[in-house]
Amino acid sequence: MKKYILLLMGLVSLTAIAQKDPVISPEDLNGIRAIGSPANPKVKVYWNKYSDQAEITRICQDLAKAYPELVKLESIGKSVEGRDLWVMSISDFKSGNADRKPGFYIDGNIHANELQGTEVALYTAWYLAESFQTVDFIKQLLKDKVFYVIPTINPDSREYFIKSANNPHSSRTGRRAFDEDGDGLTDEDKLDDLDGDGNIVMMRRKSATGRWKIDCDNPQRMIPAKQDEPGEYEMLGYEGIDNDGDGLVNEDATGTYDPNRDWAWNWQPDYVQRGALFYPGTLPETQAIKAFIKKHPNIAGAQSYHNNGGMFLRGPGAAEDDPFYDRADVDVYNFIGKLGERMVPGYKYFVIHKDLYTVYGGEIDWLALNRGVFTFSNELMTSYKLFNDKAAAERGSNQEFEEFDKYLLFGDGYVQWKPFKHPQYGDIEIGGPKKNYLRNHPGFLLMEDAHRNMAFTILHAQQMPKLEVIEVNNKDLGGGLTEVTATVINRRIMPTHSSHDVKYKIERPDYITIKNAEVIAGMIVENEDFNLTKEQKNRPEKLEIRNIPGMGAVKVRWVIKGKSDKAAIEVDSMKGGVVSKTI
Amino acid sequence: MRTKLLILGFSMFFSCLYAQNTYNSHAAITSRLKNLATKNNASGSVQSIGKSSGGKDIWLFTLSKGEAAKKPGVLVVAGADGKHPAGTEINLLLLEKLLSLPADSLSSVLSSKTLYFVPALNPDALEQVVNKIKYARSGNATSTDDDRDGQLNEDPFEDLNGDGLITQVRIEDPTGNYILNKKESRLLVKADPSKGEKGKYLLISEGVDNDNDGEFNEDGEGGVNIDQNFTFDYPIFEKGAGEYQASEPETRAILDFLYKSINIHTVLTFGLSNNLSEAPKFDRMKTNKRIVTGILEKDALIGDFVSKMYNSKTGLKDAPAMPQTKGNLTQTAYYHAGRFSFTTPGWWVPKVEEVKDSTKKEAPKPVVAKKEDSSPEADFLKWADKEKIDAFVNWTSIKHPGFEGKKAEVGGIAPYLMQNPPVKYLDSAAVKHQRFLAELLKAMPEVQIVNPKVESLQNGVSRVTVQVLNRGLLPTYAEMGDRVRFVYKVKTEVKLANGQSLISGKKTNYRGALDAGEVIEYSWLVNGKGKLTVEAGCPTAGIQTIELNIK
Repeated sequence: MKKYILLLMGLVSLTAIAQKDPVISPEDLNGIRAIGSPANPKVKVYWNKYSDQAEITRICQDLAKAYPELVKLESIGKSVEGRDLWVMSISDFKSGNADRKPGFYIDGNIHANELQGTEVALYTAWYLAESFQTVDFIKQLLKDKVFYVIPTINPDSREYFIKSANNPHSSRTGRRAFDEDGDGLTDEDKLDDLDGDGNIVMMRRKSATGRWKIDCDNPQRMIPAKQDEPGEYEMLGYEGIDNDGDGLVNEDATGTYDPNRDWAWNWQPDYVQRGALFYPGTLPETQAIKAFIKKHPNIAGAQSYHNNGGMFLRGPGAAEDDPFYDRADVDVYNFIGKLGERMVPGYKYFVIHKDLYTVYGGEIDWLALNRGVFTFSNELMTSYKLFNDKAAAERGSNQEFEEFDKYLLFGDGYVQWKPFKHPQYGDIEIGGPKKNYLRNHPGFLLMEDAHRNMAFTILHAQQMPKLEVIEVNNKDLGGGLTEVTATVINRRIMPTHSSHDVKYKIERPDYITIKNAEVIAGMIVENEDFNLTKEQKNRPEKLEIRNIPGMGAVKVRWVIKGKSDKAAIEVDSMKGGVVSKTI
Repeated sequence: MRTKLLILGFSMFFSCLYAQNTYNSHAAITSRLKNLATKNNASGSVQSIGKSSGGKDIWLFTLSKGEAAKKPGVLVVAGADGKHPAGTEINLLLLEKLLSLPADSLSSVLSSKTLYFVPALNPDALEQVVNKIKYARSGNATSTDDDRDGQLNEDPFEDLNGDGLITQVRIEDPTGNYILNKKESRLLVKADPSKGEKGKYLLISEGVDNDNDGEFNEDGEGGVNIDQNFTFDYPIFEKGAGEYQASEPETRAILDFLYKSINIHTVLTFGLSNNLSEAPKFDRMKTNKRIVTGILEKDALIGDFVSKMYNSKTGLKDAPAMPQTKGNLTQTAYYHAGRFSFTTPGWWVPKVEEVKDSTKKEAPKPVVAKKEDSSPEADFLKWADKEKIDAFVNWTSIKHPGFEGKKAEVGGIAPYLMQNPPVKYLDSAAVKHQRFLAELLKAMPEVQIVNPKVESLQNGVSRVTVQVLNRGLLPTYAEMGDRVRFVYKVKTEVKLANGQSLISGKKTNYRGALDAGEVIEYSWLVNGKGKLTVEAGCPTAGIQTIELNIK
């Protein structure tokens, strides 16, 4: 019997230990764990390569399976070619209604050749789930907020970029076919992988009249001959054939539109904004995402990952939209953007139309100006990362990449020039950077940059509003009436409504409601010391507050019948969440 | 046989019904179109191009002989703004009149052209005209929070006097700033303090302030006005415009159809703006910017030409100024889709001439209309009185819960009527517009290959020369079309037979729009003998093929 008791006690104590830290693996508690990374993650992912749709699906499904209380997976629609658009909702689902928490939206890969946005998005989902038990900050973050992560919003073209022949810049588009030259045929003259190596590189031909020559410092590189010097080569563009015999090479490829010009803010047609289609939302992917975001008005912050150049971009895309960004909103962006410059060395905080180029109908303008969501777009990868230094060569030259290729990649970045017999051009040579070089991170740099950019996005997400009822004062007015004054504070820098939102009433007001009380009158206290108030005549128990500012507070007051001891105060904000306090 | 006769009898009976004096429900429009398609199945067909947000089909009636998409087309659209059922009715009547033309005159039109009709683009809103309670509704069935206060449709109109019409309420109140119109005492005008006028009435829409927010009926049922939801000059965050550009299924349905129908040369809209009675003027300041907001120079000339055609063929005059509105279909069809785009309400209140007293000898004094006395409303009432149309709900007292103890009266011009007269007035409007449309079709471009020539050089080499000519009175497509990606250029292509090869000249040649009467010449040096073909044209102006023989 005693033995049994002992055994029982042993079991109890074992259970107690197991209950204390039920999911932390031993590896995370000893020296195997490298600080900042889960040592024995439940979902195994290699972060030094790129994922195709099957692998993306696998990672999403495995995360949802391994962490059912933290990760929910759903498909919000299908791409042109019928692939699922996966969304992972990541939050502590055991605490509160996730869809009423301040939400942060993340997507990547809208330009399909810009692969690594997907990896950063996946890394973020993976890191949040795998670190929930070990990092208190993440635990609190997922208690307060919800993340909606769409690893790729252009899965068709991503698959095409990965599986078919491309160059670093091709397949920016999606896969919907359009007749480019009005001959009633689509896709009749695509890029051609002449040597079948999966890369589309450059074509050059020896020519007595050519104006190009080989750089003697680097035989891989073609440079223009000097003004007074004869050249040796002519450049013939990207690998290709005139497939349809119209005298043009590669002029009718699939897509050739820009999914990031398909959004409904200051949308302009193709002749104003190259890449636009019939109207914003011509693409099923855009429609699906817009529907998702409209269904989730709790989304207060957003990030759309692109490449490249090392930038934290905010809107607007066009100069004429500058007036929509007033001081208060810009201050929020500045805080995050400037901190970001420290967190991710080599990255700069920029405004799209000022520092990059003009974009009409871009996704982040729609998020920021149509939905009132504080949005950044990170341009991942910069030549700074190659030698942790500012580029020495002039912009547009790939000198750093060539050097990096030589000393750190041992020639893996380029297809060496080789002869080829072209059906139209005759004897030519083909060579140049491989499709995954120049824009997409080399493997060993990928995980570090994924973590740094994720940290930037977490900083952004953490600054979404966090509301709290901090003070409730009761005053006996005599005659059986009580005056209840409550203060609601926002402990983050982001307001519940951007100034732009307040101006155009994009999101409904926040409601501060007193429950279980018979309300005679309700008012917003504008200045407590001088008793300046603004009465709300209609529905005084549910006060409508236009905005709760970042790091600011609002004060509200009710006159109620009797005592307030049974009353409760509830704050209900679309972007700020729901909090309540019993008096 | 008998049943067939019976059916025929029924359909005749029904078509008589259509000629009655009420506007149609969506169900009636549907059967009217389906009937027409059944009766004219050789040239007409009806299909749905999408559903409204309320789930109603948006019908397209295609009038064509042979392959519709292969011939230059005109798209006739109406009912984008639901408060204009007259446009829908004119559109339908126009279609019916075309179909009742003698067979040979109809087929002579349809042998080379295709006509597309979308008579009811916003069926959800148009339905209000047959509903029990009538108010000029613009918006579809999408739920909208018009006053953006977080509540949906919480403050609709109320039919306070139970007459089925939503009009107005005037309340005698010291804070009111309306007084009676001096010339037309049924109407109210704003008091002008600078003329010593003091207000007497408050004037609100017929209803109560359900949500006690101080605004009357600011958020009722009736979502997005499709004619404010298009992409050009979109009015952001405006009531009725929708959440964003092209947010509505109706908008996307017609744009998808328009962009994909690359043969559509011209869009004719019956709607609430007018660029036909008076053509828009060219303004270089508006066209030399990245975002073009004014008609291009060549297109302005065409606009002028078509406007003259319109005024002479319809005989319509005294059109009220109806400038283009933000986010509408007709401007989007031009500025974004690159097609010629014309618009007219189709009907407006005719001017009522002052009756001259013939007994008096002296020359009548010129009547100088005083601005404050004359208004579109007063002019309308003058016409309605003359036509004995019951257009005004006389002011009658009611008890208004928002103004207890005050004198409140319901009254005003009945909804719809000012822009939508009893349907019997629309038949002649349709006849006039049929004349215009016929003339417009005659002017359409037609690409022809003329003066083909084969000159034999030496040793089996020949020079093939053709001239490509636009024989129409309109360009092959709008100048704006040359900027738009989805309007296809004029293409001339030589197709060689086996054994022939090209020594000089491009196989395929593209160029911009050909103006009326404009010619372009192409020549090729061909090695080899036998037949070859040359094809020239573009979808909006037709494509012609000729065969040549090299001996």
